[in-house]
Amino acid sequence: MKDFDLKLPDSLDAAVGELPSEYSRDGAQVLAGGQDIVTVMKDAIERPAALVSLQRLGLDAIEWDGDGGVTIGATVTIQALAEDPNMEFSLPALREAARSIGSPQIRSQGTVGGNLNQRPRCPYYRHPSVSCFKKGGSVCLAEFGFNKYAAIFGGGPSYYSHPSDLATVLLMLGATVSITGPAGERRVPLSELYLLPEDALDTETVLSPDEILTSVHIPAQPPGARSSYLKFKERASYDFALAAVAVSVTRGDDGVVTEARVVLGGVAPKPWEVPAAARALVGEPMGPQAWTAAGEAAVADADPLEHNGYKIHLVKGLLFRALEALA
Amino acid sequence: MSHSAKGSPASEPSWGKRSDLDVLNRDIPRVDGPVKATGQAIYTHDVRLPDMLWARLLIHPVPRAEIESIDLEAASEMPGVVHIEALKESGDTVRYHGDDAVLAVVAAETPEQAADALREIRVKATSLPPVVTRAQALEDDAPVVSRRRNADANVGRANERGDAARADAALAEAVAVVERTFEIPVQHHACLETHGHVVQPAPDDEPVTVYASTQSVGGTPRGLARTLGRDASRIRVLTPHMGGGFGSKFGPGLEGALAARVANTTGRPVHLMLTRADEFAIAGNRSGSRQTLKVGADSEGRLVGLKLEADKLGGVSGGSLPGPPYIYTVADDDAVSSKIRSVHTATDGSRAMRAPGHPQASFAMEAAVDELAYLLGMDLVEMRIRNLESDVHHRQLRRVAEEIGWAEHPHRDRPGTAVNGRAVGIGFGVSVWGPGGRSSRCDVTVRPDGSVVSATATQDLGTGARTYVAAIVAEELGLTVDMVEARIGDSDLPPSVTSGGSVTTGSSAPAIKDAAHKAREALEALVADVLGAPVGSYSWKGGRVSVRGDASRSLPWIAVCALLREPLVAQGEFRDFLHEGRIHGAQAARVEVDTLTGRVKVLKMVTCQDQGLPLNRLALRSQINGGMIQALSYGLLEQRVFDEQDGFLLSDTLDLYKLAGAQEIPEMVALIDDEDERPSVCGMAEAPVIPGHSAIAGAIHNACGARLTRMPFTADNVLETLYGKI
Amino acid sequence: MREMDLPPDDLSAISRRSFLKGATQVAAAGGLMGASAPQDAAEPPALAEVETLSGSSAMELSVNGTVQSVEIEPRTTLLSALRTHMDPPLTGTKEVCGTGSCGACTVLIDGQPAYSCLTLAATCSGRPVTTVEGFGSPDAMSDVQQAFCDKDGMMCGFCTPGFVVATHAALERSPGADLDELKYELSGNLCRCGTYPHVFDAAQAVQQDRARGGEGR
Repeated sequence: MKDFDLKLPDSLDAAVGELPSEYSRDGAQVLAGGQDIVTVMKDAIERPAALVSLQRLGLDAIEWDGDGGVTIGATVTIQALAEDPNMEFSLPALREAARSIGSPQIRSQGTVGGNLNQRPRCPYYRHPSVSCFKKGGSVCLAEFGFNKYAAIFGGGPSYYSHPSDLATVLLMLGATVSITGPAGERRVPLSELYLLPEDALDTETVLSPDEILTSVHIPAQPPGARSSYLKFKERASYDFALAAVAVSVTRGDDGVVTEARVVLGGVAPKPWEVPAAARALVGEPMGPQAWTAAGEAAVADADPLEHNGYKIHLVKGLLFRALEALA
Repeated sequence: MSHSAKGSPASEPSWGKRSDLDVLNRDIPRVDGPVKATGQAIYTHDVRLPDMLWARLLIHPVPRAEIESIDLEAASEMPGVVHIEALKESGDTVRYHGDDAVLAVVAAETPEQAADALREIRVKATSLPPVVTRAQALEDDAPVVSRRRNADANVGRANERGDAARADAALAEAVAVVERTFEIPVQHHACLETHGHVVQPAPDDEPVTVYASTQSVGGTPRGLARTLGRDASRIRVLTPHMGGGFGSKFGPGLEGALAARVANTTGRPVHLMLTRADEFAIAGNRSGSRQTLKVGADSEGRLVGLKLEADKLGGVSGGSLPGPPYIYTVADDDAVSSKIRSVHTATDGSRAMRAPGHPQASFAMEAAVDELAYLLGMDLVEMRIRNLESDVHHRQLRRVAEEIGWAEHPHRDRPGTAVNGRAVGIGFGVSVWGPGGRSSRCDVTVRPDGSVVSATATQDLGTGARTYVAAIVAEELGLTVDMVEARIGDSDLPPSVTSGGSVTTGSSAPAIKDAAHKAREALEALVADVLGAPVGSYSWKGGRVSVRGDASRSLPWIAVCALLREPLVAQGEFRDFLHEGRIHGAQAARVEVDTLTGRVKVLKMVTCQDQGLPLNRLALRSQINGGMIQALSYGLLEQRVFDEQDGFLLSDTLDLYKLAGAQEIPEMVALIDDEDERPSVCGMAEAPVIPGHSAIAGAIHNACGARLTRMPFTADNVLETLYGKI
Repeated sequence: MREMDLPPDDLSAISRRSFLKGATQVAAAGGLMGASAPQDAAEPPALAEVETLSGSSAMELSVNGTVQSVEIEPRTTLLSALRTHMDPPLTGTKEVCGTGSCGACTVLIDGQPAYSCLTLAATCSGRPVTTVEGFGSPDAMSDVQQAFCDKDGMMCGFCTPGFVVATHAALERSPGADLDELKYELSGNLCRCGTYPHVFDAAQAVQQDRARGGEGR
């Protein structure tokens, strides 16, 4: 790892002041739990001249509103999120997503903000000797190369899939994030947080280099809504999602689905909501027929590469299993 | 001078009746457990010497390239750099990913400075087509990529055996015939301690000390003699502990030679351990293969004909694959034909890896046996028993079948079908190994103060060797294990074998036993003056020696040793009759398959394993479990991945080269085959790694009808096998 | 055939070069970084003085109950600080993957398990660190260390220190964990020898012992 300066600001404004307004590979970046950025810096994929630590900013609180909504600070650890006593009852899908992240060590040190801002896991992006679109280069080697883990939606010119488990669930829950920059604070819905490669290559989010994601707000969920998160890992122990589904279903007294939301993870450069899958559920009773129809709708627009077509089967199967578990 | 116990013994050593054993054939906690569990065990990685330099290698990232220049100037001026040298010059080529891709070595005062300097080396090179796959190697205009400079083809000479016409005729007569092509990826050893050495130079009249993470403390001095410019006898190699080898750590390798050279040049100790990425690039692997296997059976389920065409994929090495029929018997030996060749790619050469070639052969052969059984409507266990000669295999198969719940399993002669996408299946596999033993020596020293040292230049790869070096002596002398100090991992000790092919136990244990027996007889000669009974009529139990049949005539151990005026040194050597040559195993696996998602969950694995007399049942179960788990990991996850366009090794981290973790581990049952009552000992570590992935593949097939013909059994593989490739 | 300069001077230079599809720029194993000229882009002036660690400096690290001054840089990982900067070095904590993938470097920071290879030592100021050496010594092992010996929860032993620390953390976090939950809590550590079943045995033995009123470590 190349050496850098470590900045330890005591206030959010001071932290923002240490960050550059324009992206460059040498520019200062934010350090939260370090579980991702240290790996990309070790391999010189990013080489910031300075890291600005959020350690002293007190962004580590989980605050429940009276109405069932919750605000989660950016430096709340994944472990703290999973262990929050209200989480299991109020937001079981979020708890499940938190529990599915990394390993005990990663969960204990990694943060909510870091999880949302983590960089792609594409083997080419992560390889220290490969240049690619994501690193200022002019090619995506995954497109015609080893693309088993790549995106089946939203790809091009780069084909990474977004690795965040929390992002997938937070989109399904209708969350917003708070972002602080030189001009003050702004709130961005999760659905607008992430960019596709066609929009930007040097970042995956709408945050500008001098902005800090400070918290996530999850609104109260509709009464009666049941949700779950189901993640498929190639390795059961400690792995990223090959595919994941976050699903929320509300049923009427007759058992017919009245509202649904389906978001896919691990299959696109951002959390990928599939309204068509939700529409396939609404108005139907929960059962294999509706689950299969939802799966077909979910993958209708998939555009796989040579080695990731299996994800189409996988998404259908996972959605079926997630809905089955909710029934 | 010391007492010597070299003379011809009054009796031959023997392992004794199992019912008489107090130490061996029991659970013995390993003697180095406390230092390992507390972080006090010093591995080569951990060696810290005064004035030590830290060395790093620069490895070219793609397999083939022409070097225009390697500019060391900026790097050599970096802070702390003491030594820097290029291994290639302008006009040289990098011929393959592996040791030929090492471009430079840097040594600096700190690890960070070495890494900083490495980044400042400027290389100009032109990359050449990579040749990392079999298909690329077999293209008409493929460049020749052999390790030999005068090679003229990427395909080695085929090893052809048997008569293809006879095999064809037998197959034509067969009632059931199965033909499949199997594709097996390259597996890495992935030792947690990477390869490397710490070399401490010395003046000409003193020995050079080399700390090595090696499977051969005895062979390493010879491997470094030329580089160090001195006789092997003046190089002392120390391996107090080592973090895994699995067949990849027999010689010092290029990294050892460079460590030695930099130490010689600078006159300072040099610490050169490979990084994890280096390890994946140049430290060897288990060869892959592509096998087209055709096997036929008669109506009774007997195998009657077999044809195999196989390519071994060992990079620039030859690769390994034993000839067919693997373990099973074909009724007419002449109806077996095979053509096995090596196809070379510009990738790191394969090395021995725990039962080299055998897991690959097992994967194809067990699949064929399964499929023939299903074609004939035969029980999978019965089909195997009909085609295995050894009744040891028969009883072991029955035992694992019972343990896995085979009799209650609903589909034993046909695959099941998934219900709501869920299916459970059971599969089987068998193993053999012939470890044998060879020349090895051991010294047992008994001192007047009662202390005992058992010393031999073996190394403990994690097998528990250090523990039996003490335990065998404790058994012979009626002591507890903690009363005997085991000294190993030092080339100055009495020579033993390189640890490969499970030969260590079969070689070392007889020598240790022989030494302990000689020590015992020498002590009995002294005791005879006190207790009156002749040598050979004593019982050594519970820290006392007593006249057999007269417990009233006895001496405590400390009093026996007090009879010594000086240390007694008994020199033992390998005794053929104390070791065993052949072992057997059977395995069963139960898996659950989700046919909607392609998820394979192994629920249970069982092994029954023989090995003669178990020295340490606890460590033996660890080794059996370890074999099963490595096979499970190989089957479910492991795969070296190259980018085929440019030749980057993508799987060079433990993120992307996936090893089984805690949540992959099913219920595991390690059964020691106690029906094997052979009065001799044998290594066994190779055997349990051979059939586990085959049993898992068989269980997947048995569960849902999907025969996976390539590894690993990841979701993409399962789903594409079930539904075709999208 | 492609020309390549290793490593490229800087990435903007790479992206300016034109390449055919599938063509690649290659950097040597040292990485894509260029000549490491310090960043000279003007930074907006900070509002207040922000504490900045730059270059080599001494910091106080609390390890196993002892505070020691160590000379580190901001980039120095906790693992590196333990193994090569402490005096004497604490080499029980092992480096295996360097990427937070294997758990051999597991330590506790503020009582929580962490990969010391992904932790910057400079962020550990005021946060007590416990390594495998801090749990016990060969003559006075912790209950977990003793159970690893009794149940043979080790083979080559290179993963063992990490597993010992992870097991302490797991049993602290989930004292009554069933076997599946134990596997979940130990899923951040890899073993190549395949020791896992005996590690689980060891963890369960400790659970039973503690449930019977064993003192713990």
